[in-house]
Amino acid sequence: MTELLVKNACVIDPHNRISMEIMDIPVRDGRIVESVSAGADIIDAKGCLTLPGGIDSHSHVCGTKVNFGRYMSPEDMRAGRTARRGKMHVTSGYYVPTTYGNSYRYSAMGYTTVLEGAMAPLEARHTHEEFTATPHQDMLANTLFDGNWAIMEAVRAKDVKKAAAIVAWTLSAVKGYSIKLTNPGGTEAWGWGEDVSSIHDAVPNFNVTPAEIITTMIAANELLHLPHSVHLHCNNLGKPGNYRTTLETFDLVPDKNNGRQTLYATHVQFHAYGGTTWRDISSKAEEIARAVNAKPQIVMDMGQIMFGRTMTMTADGPMEFNLYCLHHNKWSNHDVELETGAGIIPVLYSKKSLVNCVMWAIGLELALLTKNPFQCLLETDNPNGAPFVKYPEIIGLLMSKRYRDEECATLHDGTEQRTAICALDREMDWNEIAIMTRAGQAKALGIAAQGKGHFSNGAEADIAIYPIRCRDVDPATEYRKVIEAFRKTMYTIKRGRVVAREGDIIVEGANSTFWVNPVVPDDLNVANDPEFVKKFEEYYTVRMGNYPVQDVYLPRGKCIRTEAAL
Amino acid sequence: MIIKDVVCPFCGCLCDDLDVEVDGQKIIKVQNGCALAEATLTGNNRLPAPIRRTATGWEEISYDDAIRETADILLAADRPLLYGWSSTHGEAQSIGVYIAELIGAVIDNTSVVCHGPSILAIQEVGHPGCTLGQVKNRADVVVYWGCNPTEAHPRHMSRYTTFATGFFVPEAQKDRTVIVVDTRRTESAEIADEFIRIERGRDYEVLSALRAIVRGKGSILPREIAGVAREQLFRVAEICMKAKFGAIFFGLGLTMSNGKYKNVRNAIELTDELNRHTKFTISPLRGHGNVYGSNEVFTWITGYPYAVDFARGIAFYNPGETTAVDILRRGECDAALIVASDPGAHFPHAAAAHLAKIPTILIDPHHTATTPLCRLQIPCTMAGIDAEGTAYRMDGVPIRYKKLIESSYPDDADLLKRIHDRIREVQGA
Amino acid sequence: MRAVLNTGRTISQGIAVEHKGSPAYQAAVSVCHMNPVDLMDLGIEEGAQVVLTSRAGSVVLTTRAAEGINRGEVFVPLGPYANHIISAETHATGMPDFKAEPVDVVPTDEPVRTVWELMESIGGVRYDH
Repeated sequence: MTELLVKNACVIDPHNRISMEIMDIPVRDGRIVESVSAGADIIDAKGCLTLPGGIDSHSHVCGTKVNFGRYMSPEDMRAGRTARRGKMHVTSGYYVPTTYGNSYRYSAMGYTTVLEGAMAPLEARHTHEEFTATPHQDMLANTLFDGNWAIMEAVRAKDVKKAAAIVAWTLSAVKGYSIKLTNPGGTEAWGWGEDVSSIHDAVPNFNVTPAEIITTMIAANELLHLPHSVHLHCNNLGKPGNYRTTLETFDLVPDKNNGRQTLYATHVQFHAYGGTTWRDISSKAEEIARAVNAKPQIVMDMGQIMFGRTMTMTADGPMEFNLYCLHHNKWSNHDVELETGAGIIPVLYSKKSLVNCVMWAIGLELALLTKNPFQCLLETDNPNGAPFVKYPEIIGLLMSKRYRDEECATLHDGTEQRTAICALDREMDWNEIAIMTRAGQAKALGIAAQGKGHFSNGAEADIAIYPIRCRDVDPATEYRKVIEAFRKTMYTIKRGRVVAREGDIIVEGANSTFWVNPVVPDDLNVANDPEFVKKFEEYYTVRMGNYPVQDVYLPRGKCIRTEAAL
Repeated sequence: MIIKDVVCPFCGCLCDDLDVEVDGQKIIKVQNGCALAEATLTGNNRLPAPIRRTATGWEEISYDDAIRETADILLAADRPLLYGWSSTHGEAQSIGVYIAELIGAVIDNTSVVCHGPSILAIQEVGHPGCTLGQVKNRADVVVYWGCNPTEAHPRHMSRYTTFATGFFVPEAQKDRTVIVVDTRRTESAEIADEFIRIERGRDYEVLSALRAIVRGKGSILPREIAGVAREQLFRVAEICMKAKFGAIFFGLGLTMSNGKYKNVRNAIELTDELNRHTKFTISPLRGHGNVYGSNEVFTWITGYPYAVDFARGIAFYNPGETTAVDILRRGECDAALIVASDPGAHFPHAAAAHLAKIPTILIDPHHTATTPLCRLQIPCTMAGIDAEGTAYRMDGVPIRYKKLIESSYPDDADLLKRIHDRIREVQGA
Repeated sequence: MRAVLNTGRTISQGIAVEHKGSPAYQAAVSVCHMNPVDLMDLGIEEGAQVVLTSRAGSVVLTTRAAEGINRGEVFVPLGPYANHIISAETHATGMPDFKAEPVDVVPTDEPVRTVWELMESIGGVRYDH
C-alpha cells in the first residue's frame, strides 16, 4: 500500500466545480481517497496551481504514419535530440519526436492521457507497440473507418445494425477506443487518385456519400453505447470556402446522447475557411462558432497552428498530395487496403504568408468565440498545426489580449481584414483553461467515468502541479509567466507515483491502454457472417485469423465493455 | 496436427496463409508456401548448444557462461557493433537497441546492404506507397524494376500482383499489364508483357527519360537511352499514364548499382510525377522477413532506421560513417554482437575479416558462414518456428509470427534480456 | 576477359541459405553465370572453372551458361564466393558495389574452395561438429 498526500494545492477541478481552492489531495494505491494515514509521503504544492493530469484528445504520436514521419526526417531527429540521462532514454525529433521523446515531453507538461488521432485497423499492432514505448501516458486509439469497404456496403444498404456490428467486431479485434472518420469517402476515392468535393458526392464504385457515412456511423456509435462519440475530420480540409462543408456536416448531427456530444469535430481551424481561392481566403470562425454555440451536441477542438516548421500527417491522403503540389516538399503516402489512407509532408507556417496568418487567427477565434469551453478544446492536431510543446504558448494567447495584440502586430498586414482576431477582447480564465486541457477532454472522450480528468473520490491520481500561484499572477499582463509555468510542472504524478520532477522523468513507466469491446448478439456478430468472412479473406492480404491484435500487445489493457442496443 | 494461417518468416512477403503439418515437435509438411518457405520451415541445421572458440578448436559451453561472457565482452569494448536483426522478431530487436544505448554501441541492421539506399532516397524525397492489398485490388499496371521476384520473392506475383485476383481486377492476367526492367533477361522478364533491357548501371538515365516523357518533354530524347529504344520508353510511359492504378516495385538493381540512392530517388520522383496524371505508387521489395521491422523498431526508439551510433550518448546517424560495412572496413569496432544475420556470407570479405580479429559473438540458430569468424555462438529459437513475435511485412503491415513447435532453445529476446540485465547490473555496481 | 560482376538472389541459393556448409549451398553459390558466347570466347565449356579477380581478391567458380546474361557481364549468386571479390568500399553510402564490381575472368584448373576454406582464408576457424 502506498500513500501520498499533496498538501497546499491550489486546485481547479471543473468536473467537481472546484476553482482555485487551497486543499490537500490524499492518494492511496494510485487513487484519490478521502484521507490517508500519518505515514503517507508528502508533497507540498506550496499553494501552486494543481490540475488533474492533462488529456490530449487528438494527437498523432504512435503508429505507421507517425513512424514514417520520423524515419523520413533525419534532419528533424537531429534537431530535437536529447542524451540518455538517469531513467531517460535518448530522444530524437522536434516535431515528430520518438516515442520516449513524446512521452517525456508530455509528462514534463503534466499530461497523463493521450488519444492517438488515427489508427488504421490493419496496422493496429504497430500502434500498440508504440503505445507501450510511450510509457508515461495512458493511451487510447481513434480507429479509422472512413474508407472501410464493409462499412460502405452497410451504409449503401442502409443497414445501421450491420454497420454497428462491423464497428463492434473491428474495435474489439484491434483494441481500438473510438470511431474515427477522416475525410469520409475521400480516402477511398484517393485509392484511385481522386477525392470527394462535398458531403453529397458519391464515392466512386461504392455509391455512398460522406453524409450517409457520417449519419450511419453516428447512429451505429450510439447503438453501441460507445464512451466517445464519432470523431470526425471533415471533408474538404484546407480548401478555401470549406466552411460551408463544415456547417452542412454540423447540420447532419442529431443530439443522441445525454452524457456527451454526439459529434467530436476535430481540428476545426482547418475547416473554417471562407473565400474561394488562396487569394481571398478569410476566416469563417464566427459562423462556425455560432453553429457550435447553438448545438450542444457538437464539441470541437481548435486545430491551432503556430508559426514555424512542423510535419503534417493525416489519413487524408488527397489533402496531403495537394500540399505536395503546392510546396514540392518530400511527400509520403500510405493507402491502407479496404480501410483508409495516409499522407505525410513537412510544412512551414510563416508570418509572411497571409494564408498562414489567417489560419493562426482562426484557431484562436474559434476558442474565443465558443461560449462554453467544454465545446472547444485546446489542440493543435499535433504535429499538423504545431508540436504539442507549444500548448503553453497557446494558453498564453488565450488568456492575454495583450499577447495577442503583440503577435498581431507582427503578422502580415492583410490579416486584420480577413479575420476578427484583433477585435476580440475575451481573455480565458484559469478555470476555462483547465476545461480546455483536461476536464473537457475527459467528458468528450467519455473517460471521466474511468476516473480521468478530475479529483473525485476514487479517481485516478493523475496530478499536475504547475509552478505558479494563480492569485499572484495576472495572466492578462504576465502571460510569459503563465507560459513558463505550463511548460514544466513541479511534479507530474501518475496513478499516485511521481513520474516527472521539473522536467526530469524519474521512473520507468507502466501505462495502460484503454479499449472498447462492444458486445453484440451472436446472430449479428460479423465473425459468424459467411459473406463478411468470405470478402475479408478474398480482398485483404492478411488472413482474418491473423488480423486481431493479440492480448500480449496490451500488457496493462483496460477493456471497457459496452452492451449494444441491437 | 495441421496449423493453419502460418506466417512464413523468410522473405519480405510475409505470406500468412501457409498450412503447416506438425508431428510432435517436428515440422513435416508445408502447404501453400514456396520452395523457400518449405526449406526454412522444414530445414534442420540448428547448432545444438552454445560454442566457444578455443586455441585448438571449439568447445561447448553453458548458456549461463555464454551470456556472462557476452556481457563481459560488450562491457569491455570501447566501440562495440551490434549488427543484423532482420530475421528475428521485434521483441528481440527492441532489446538490441536498449543494449546498444546502454553501452554506447553502434547498432545497424541488414538494410545497410539491401534497401539502405532506398531509405536514403526516402529521406530526400519521401515515399508514395501503399499496402500490398491496394495493389492486389486495384493495379492494372505493375512495374518490376531492378528486381527478380520469381527468384527472390516467389509468391509476390501470385499473392499481390500479376496472378492475384482483386476486387477491381477480377481477371488478373487479362486485366494487368506487367512491365519488367532489368539488365538481364530473368525469369521475371519472361512473364512480362513489356521487358525493358537496360545497360548495366544506367537506370538513372532511363528513369530521367521517362520523367521527361511524362512531363511532355519527350522530344529532347535521343534515339536510344542506355541501350533502350526511345520508342519503347514512349510506349511504356503511355501505358503508365493511361493506367488506372500503377504500382512500381523495385529491388537491389537500383540500390546496388552505380548511383545507388540516387537511382531510387529518381524512381520515386517519377512516381510523384505520374501521380499528377493518375494513381501511382512505389515500394521496395524488402528481402528479409523482418528487416522492415528492425527499421520500425530502431526508428520509434532512436529516430533513425539503421546505422545508429550511441557513442556520444545521443542517437547519431550518418550513413557512410556509422554503417556496419564501413565500420568493419575501417577496423573501427573492437567487439561485435551479430544477431539473426550472416555477414560472414553477405558482407564483402575485407569487412567480414575484421570480425575474426575482434571478440565477436553470434546469436543465431544455424551454423553459418559467420560461425568460423566468431568467438562465441549462442543458438536460439527461430522466430516464426519455435518463437512467436512481431514482424513487419515489406509494406509496413505488422503480423505476428506463430510458434509452431516447442524447442529447448531459448528465445533470443530472453537471451538478450539477460545480457541487457547483466550489463545494467555491472554498470550499476 | 574483362567483365562486370553482378550478384543477387536465386532460388537454389535461398533454399540452401540456412545450410551454409552443405554441398547444395556450395553448388548454388559458387557458380558464375555467363553468356554462352563469352564462354566460347574464353575457349571453355559450361562447367569448367574460372578465376575471377577484382581489386578485392580472387575466387575460383564453376561456370554456367545463361542466355539472359549480357556479354561482358557475369552473375554470381550472393554469398561468400561473390563477397570474396566484392570490395568493401561503399562511397560513403554504406552499400558496397554489389552489382558493379569490375573483374577479370580467366579459365583455371584450380578447384573451387569450400565455404569453410574461404572463411578460414579471412581468419576464421571452422567449426566441425
